[in-house]
Amino acid sequence: MMLPGPRYAWLRQLAAVAVLLAVWEAAGRADMLNPMYVPNPSRIGAALVDLFADGRIWPHLDATFTAALGGLALGIAVGIILGVVAALVPAIAELIEPVMSVLNAIPRVILAPLFVIWLGIGLASKVALSFILVAVLIFFTVFNGIRQVDRRLVERVITLGGSRWSLVRHVYLPSVAAWVLGNLKIAVGFAFTGACVGEFVAATRGLGYLLSFAQSTYNAALMFALILLILVVVLLIFAIAGRLEKYLLRWN
Amino acid sequence: MRVSDLTISYGGEPVLEGASLTVGDGRFVSLVGPSGSGKSSLLRAVIGLQRPLSGTIETKLARSQIGILFQDDALLPWKTARDNVALGLSLNGMERGKALAEAEAWLERLDLAGFGDRFPRHLSGGQRKRVALAQVLAMKPELILMDEPFASLDAIVGARIVKDVVALVEGQGISVLLVTHDLEEAISLSDEVCLLSQGPRAHIIQHYAVPIPRPRDPIHSRTHPAFAPLYERLWADLSREVDHRAEAA
Repeated sequence: MMLPGPRYAWLRQLAAVAVLLAVWEAAGRADMLNPMYVPNPSRIGAALVDLFADGRIWPHLDATFTAALGGLALGIAVGIILGVVAALVPAIAELIEPVMSVLNAIPRVILAPLFVIWLGIGLASKVALSFILVAVLIFFTVFNGIRQVDRRLVERVITLGGSRWSLVRHVYLPSVAAWVLGNLKIAVGFAFTGACVGEFVAATRGLGYLLSFAQSTYNAALMFALILLILVVVLLIFAIAGRLEKYLLRWN
Repeated sequence: MRVSDLTISYGGEPVLEGASLTVGDGRFVSLVGPSGSGKSSLLRAVIGLQRPLSGTIETKLARSQIGILFQDDALLPWKTARDNVALGLSLNGMERGKALAEAEAWLERLDLAGFGDRFPRHLSGGQRKRVALAQVLAMKPELILMDEPFASLDAIVGARIVKDVVALVEGQGISVLLVTHDLEEAISLSDEVCLLSQGPRAHIIQHYAVPIPRPRDPIHSRTHPAFAPLYERLWADLSREVDHRAEAA
């Protein structure tokens, strides 16, 4: 019997996925699907278990996480600093905004080969790609956000005797925090995109490298297992980012 | 506080030209006039948010002794009610713990005991207005500028807050310069009402003394014998001014 109401939506969604997997598995076992392109869920599960059972996944997870989180942290920090400075100092905005606009207009992953030439096939080129993806996003979030800050709040702090620094501390930074947190999930997605694409291009470790390896050996089960793993990892980080956002923006 | 010959322009024709008025110690002065006559601009010039083209603003008061209440509460949404009230005190050098204690005392005084930890979003319009009032009063101002602060409130809540405001400013001898569209509010609260002409190039065309004794109840003062004649006179002058300008246009 189906449980009604929105409270049990997750149960119905779970049941739908289970049915889909069962049909997929049955179709595979009945030779209706070519395992070279679409392996059975049980084979994908086995490939996933293998990755963890022999422990070979850990260095790759370590490499991708380090590159993505490193690029994310650097991108957020630099994006905020440049966004705040450019929004408050028009002369600096004149210099930075055109560069950022160009970087925003192009698909920034095309810079990956360049970073490999400049920084080598190690971690640095992946961090750089994640960084550039995140920094441009955060820069525009902060830059546009500060320029649209509620003038009434600025005037309130001024009339209470606030200095320029007080405005930064009590109005601009909390506003910036709200905008950045609002874009944190997108930034996380960008950071992992940068790390994985960087590993695709040239690497000896990482989930992107493993995906590239699975592709070159036509190992569809491994490929599906890696996609599933990346999906789970990013969803977990999304959940953490969501919790953080909910707590820090509890005033909203 | 004395404003003399004040002219304010936002680039084109001045909105205000040659406006002069005085707010004496402990006096409640209202500024009324048609829309676009530069009432709010005058307040913004006094508080330093608008640079006048010419004219002078003389006051013996320090910047921190002048408070302003806007029509919007303009509370920082990420700060609790207590932190919002304490903000002005902290910005003026008071140690944080002491500022928070002072803020709590003001919240209690304005019937907001127990609401200190709430964020503005979680307060009603009337409660937010009281927090904004506490924020200004906590600074112990000698002069409060009010830019239609009660316009956005419903009648009952507005009347209660106005009553509290009058009691507080009368009790502490605070001077007030109130900008309002509401002639009844202006007369019932003020010692003097100043009428601005239609803008642009608006200036003060008439001063009216309000002979209603203090302490006042803002509702009951509307039944005072002096109220109705003054209201009629003010209404007639304001209407004449609006009609005159309309004909000129």
